[in-house]
Amino acid sequence: MKLLKDRIAQWSMVGLLTAVAATSLYAPSASAHGEKSQAAFMRMRTIHWYDLHWSKEKVKVNDSVEISGKFHVFEGWPETVAEPDTAFLNIGIPGPVFIRKESYIGGQLVPRSVRLEIGKTYEFRVVLKARRPGDWHVHTMMNVEGGGPIIGPGKWITIEGSMGDFKNPITTLTGQTIDLENYNLENTYFWHSFWYAIGLAWIVYWVRRPTFLPRFLLVNAGRADELVSKTDKRVGLGFAAATIVIVIFAQSAANGKYPITIPLQAGTMRGMRPIDEPKSTIAVKVEDATYRVPGRAMRMKLTITNNGNAAVRLGEFYTASVRFLDSDVYKDTTGYPEDLLAEDGLEVSDNSPIAPGETRTVEVTASDAAWEVYRLSDIIYDPDSRFAGLLFFFDAEGNRVIQQVDAPLIPSFL
Amino acid sequence: MSALQSAVRSHAEAVKVSRTIDYLGLFIFFFVVCGSYHIHAMLTMGDWDFWSDWKDRRLWVTVTPIVLITFPAAVQYFLWERFRQPWGATVCVLALLFGEWINRYFNFWGWTYFPVNFVFPAILVPGAILLDTILLLSGSYLFTAVVGGMAWGLIFYPGNWPIIAPIHVPVEYNGVLMSIADIQGYNYVRTGTPEYIRMVEKGTLRTFGKDVAPVSAFFSAFMSILIYFLWHFVGRWFANVRFLKST
Repeated sequence: MKLLKDRIAQWSMVGLLTAVAATSLYAPSASAHGEKSQAAFMRMRTIHWYDLHWSKEKVKVNDSVEISGKFHVFEGWPETVAEPDTAFLNIGIPGPVFIRKESYIGGQLVPRSVRLEIGKTYEFRVVLKARRPGDWHVHTMMNVEGGGPIIGPGKWITIEGSMGDFKNPITTLTGQTIDLENYNLENTYFWHSFWYAIGLAWIVYWVRRPTFLPRFLLVNAGRADELVSKTDKRVGLGFAAATIVIVIFAQSAANGKYPITIPLQAGTMRGMRPIDEPKSTIAVKVEDATYRVPGRAMRMKLTITNNGNAAVRLGEFYTASVRFLDSDVYKDTTGYPEDLLAEDGLEVSDNSPIAPGETRTVEVTASDAAWEVYRLSDIIYDPDSRFAGLLFFFDAEGNRVIQQVDAPLIPSFL
Repeated sequence: MSALQSAVRSHAEAVKVSRTIDYLGLFIFFFVVCGSYHIHAMLTMGDWDFWSDWKDRRLWVTVTPIVLITFPAAVQYFLWERFRQPWGATVCVLALLFGEWINRYFNFWGWTYFPVNFVFPAILVPGAILLDTILLLSGSYLFTAVVGGMAWGLIFYPGNWPIIAPIHVPVEYNGVLMSIADIQGYNYVRTGTPEYIRMVEKGTLRTFGKDVAPVSAFFSAFMSILIYFLWHFVGRWFANVRFLKST
C-alpha cells in the first residue's frame, strides 16, 4: 500500500510540475487580432472604412469611447465571400475589456444582425465603456455570415483604473435597477450549489458502503438482488419525490418573483439607411496596375476624367485600411493609426489640378512598408488577385470626391 | 511473495484495500468522466450552454437534454450491471458540472473576464436523480429509457427556470426591447462570436403562441428516449468483462 501511495504521490508531483511549467514559464500575451493574416483581397474588396474617428486614446474605467465613421460596401464584392445579407457590426477587442453600450448604423441601434446592400455607404457609430485596465487594440469590425470577420483599422486605447470599480447599471421595464456585472450571481451560485449538494448526497448514500470489488463479486455470483435493500428503494423514492417537489416549488417561486419575462430577442434587422451620396463627378479608368515586390510599391496607370465644376487633385488612395496620401494635397488630422498611414506614400506623375472637363492619364505609385507589414502584397497569392480601393480627389476648397477602383493586379518580381 | 499468495493477510486488511480501491476508483472514474463528458458537451451543445443569451425556450431546451443523456445512459449500464450502483447519471452530471464550473470560472471569467452571470452552465442534477432513481426502483433499462428519458427531457427547463427567469426580464434599451440576457450578449463583446451565429428562437412552432417551451421539452424528452437506447449499447460495449474471464 505504501509503495502504491508513494508512486501516486510521485506521479502527482510530476504532473503538477509539468502543468505549472507549461502554463507559467512562457505565456506571452496576444496583442493583435490576426488582421494581417486575413486574405488581402478580402480586406481590399469588401468593406472600406473611412472618415474614422476615435474620440479618446486614454480613458478611465467607466468612461466612454466613441468610434464613428463611414463604411462603403464595395461594388466589386468578391464571389468567394458570401454577400452581406446577414452582417453584424462588431468591435475587435480582446474580450470584454470594454463593453459595447451602443452601436448604430445609419442612426439605428443595431444590437442584432443587419442586412447591408452592396454599393451603398453607411454611417456608423459604436460607443464603448471602459471596463478592464490596460492597453487595448480596438478595431472596427464587420462580421459577415458566410464571409467571416472583416476587420477594419485598429487603434490603441489605454484604460486606467481598477476593474473592481466598473459598474453596468440597467433599469428594467419592471422598474428595477440592476448592475449587470453581478446581477443574478448569488441566485446562480445558490441553485447550482443546492443541486450539487443533493447530487453528492445521493452518491454518498451509496458509496459510504463498499462500492466496487465486493459488489462486483456478488453480482457475478448471481446475488445482485441482495445489494439493493428496501430501505435503499425508499431512499431512492424519497430523492425522486423531493426532486420533483423542489423543481415545481422553485419554478413556481421564480414565476412569482419574476411574473413578467420575455423570450430572447432574435432576427435580422433590415432597412438600414445608407448615406444619400451624390454621384461621383470623377471617372477613373485603370489602364493597368502592377505590384513591384522588391520595392513594396503598387503602380497604377489611371485615366481620370473630371466631370465636375471644380479642378481637382488626387490626394489619397485607400485600400484595406491603409491610407496613402499626397501631403501636398491632403494631410490627415484625425489621429488615424500611424502604422496604417503613409503620409507621403502617394506619388502622382502629374498632380496638377485636373480642370473640369479634362481627361488626363497619370501614373500613380502607392509605396510604403505597410504593403509588407500588413501583408497586402500577399494579394498576388490570393485566389482572386484583383486590387481595389478608394481614390479621394480634392478641389482647392477642400471639397472631396470619392471614386472607387477595382482592377487586376500583375506582380513584378524584378 | 509468490503469485499464489494473497496480497493481504487479514480480513481487516482486505477491507482496507477494498475501500482504498473504492476511493481511487471513484477519483479516477470521476475525472475520466469529467474530461470525456465535458469534451462531448462542448462539442455538441457548445455555445448553447456557454452563454446566457443562447439559453432560449426552443433550441437550448431541445438540444441540451438530447446530447447530454448520452454518458448517463452508458455509465448507468456500467455501474448498474456490474455493481448494482444506481448513481451513474448523477456522477456523470456532477463530473460534467465540476469541469464546466472550472472552465467557466477560470477560463471565461479568470482569463477573459466574462461575468459568471453570463457564462454559467445549465443545471442537470434533477434529471440525473430521476434517471437514477427510476433505474433503482424499476430495475429495468427499458422502463428507465422510456420513463427516465422522458423525465430527463421534461424536467430540464423547469429545473433551470429559477436561474434564467431573472435574465428574461424585459428592458427598453435605447428604443429596442431586449431581455437582460440579450443585453449581456450585446454588452460583453465576443469578437469571435457574431450575433448571427446565435441559434435561438428559430423554428416553426409559431402556432403554439408563447407556450413553446413545453412543446420543445416534449420533443427533447422523446429524442432523449431514443438517444438513451443508443448510448445504453455504448455502455454495454464499454462494460464488457471478457478480458476478466480470460485471466
